[in-house]
Amino acid sequence: MIDSIVHMFSVVENQQHGSVFLVLAIGFVFGAIILYSRLDKFEKMAGFMIFEDTLVPRMAMMTVALSGIGFYFLTEYGYATYDVKPTLLGGLILGGILFGIGLVILGKCPSAFFVSVSEGRVDALVGVIGGMFGGLAFSLGYPWIKNILGADLGKIRLTDFFQGYELTVILVMSTILLTVAFLIPTIDYKDPADD
Amino acid sequence: MPRQIPWWVGGISMSLLFYFTFSVWGADRPIGASTGMSYISNMIFGITPQESEYAAMIEESGAWEAVMLIGVFFGGLFMSLFVTKTFHISYIPTLWKERKNSSIRSRMIWSFIAGFLLVFGARLAGGCNAGHILSGGSQIAVSGMIFAVVALGTGMITGRFFYKKRRKADD
Repeated sequence: MIDSIVHMFSVVENQQHGSVFLVLAIGFVFGAIILYSRLDKFEKMAGFMIFEDTLVPRMAMMTVALSGIGFYFLTEYGYATYDVKPTLLGGLILGGILFGIGLVILGKCPSAFFVSVSEGRVDALVGVIGGMFGGLAFSLGYPWIKNILGADLGKIRLTDFFQGYELTVILVMSTILLTVAFLIPTIDYKDPADD
Repeated sequence: MPRQIPWWVGGISMSLLFYFTFSVWGADRPIGASTGMSYISNMIFGITPQESEYAAMIEESGAWEAVMLIGVFFGGLFMSLFVTKTFHISYIPTLWKERKNSSIRSRMIWSFIAGFLLVFGARLAGGCNAGHILSGGSQIAVSGMIFAVVALGTGMITGRFFYKKRRKADD
């Protein structure tokens, strides 16, 4: 176990994606933002999908709207590279369905549940343990599972269909997302357990 | 210090972190989490890249995300102890008590099943909320958009049947 942890750090150190310290720092800030905005709470994530709270869609829309524009300019001026996941239809649809069911029942996603554990939530810890077994099942089953992941449509982006109008597409999308985020009414589930 | 930041402050802070991580000054890659979960799971159960095709595939990005998740845990711990001061041992969320039941056993069993589905589903789809919806959406990736619609749509439909309806008297 100790060996594999040391190995993990050395794999990170040897990639061109930042030092171990930097990656830890990125995670630290990510976790801090998740906790401080209360995104890790069941009431926020599951609450959004049963219409009890609107924090999650508003914050997510704002993040995507601003990041979309920022990513475009960073890439345009050579300070970043797009790293798009392939569109594997079978995996996306089947995986999305299972993920959606898990999300509304557990009420946290695969980074927020760590944040929830750090806040003392035992149910989140049980969720993480369930997740470990989910990961195990996937790794063991992969030789069979890989056959149902297709059809592979490649690493496509919406802007690929609008060649030459990339910035326009991004600006339109971001404007729509920001407008919707501000128009969604504030529904805030007040949790008495937080007081 | 306030106990919670508003959604738009959260959105702006998250975007700034995303710019930094995505750029060459940061990590030169987008943020993701579920590959890291798979990596940690392989580590715990002793599945090595030599014997598993999947472990070999995620060796590099999985290690990166696993280290990031260690940071995520301590970031959350720091905030809950010193800033929001919300750290306390709890078993059942308030809203679950209101819309489902008050049984610790039921919450734990469902949490285990849901955690399993989350990670298994995320691995099938190739990403989760972070990698597909936030990072994917920001890159205008078609995969991220399909995932968002399918996952959130299924979640809303499941929620409608899984939880009790809110009673009028509660309003």
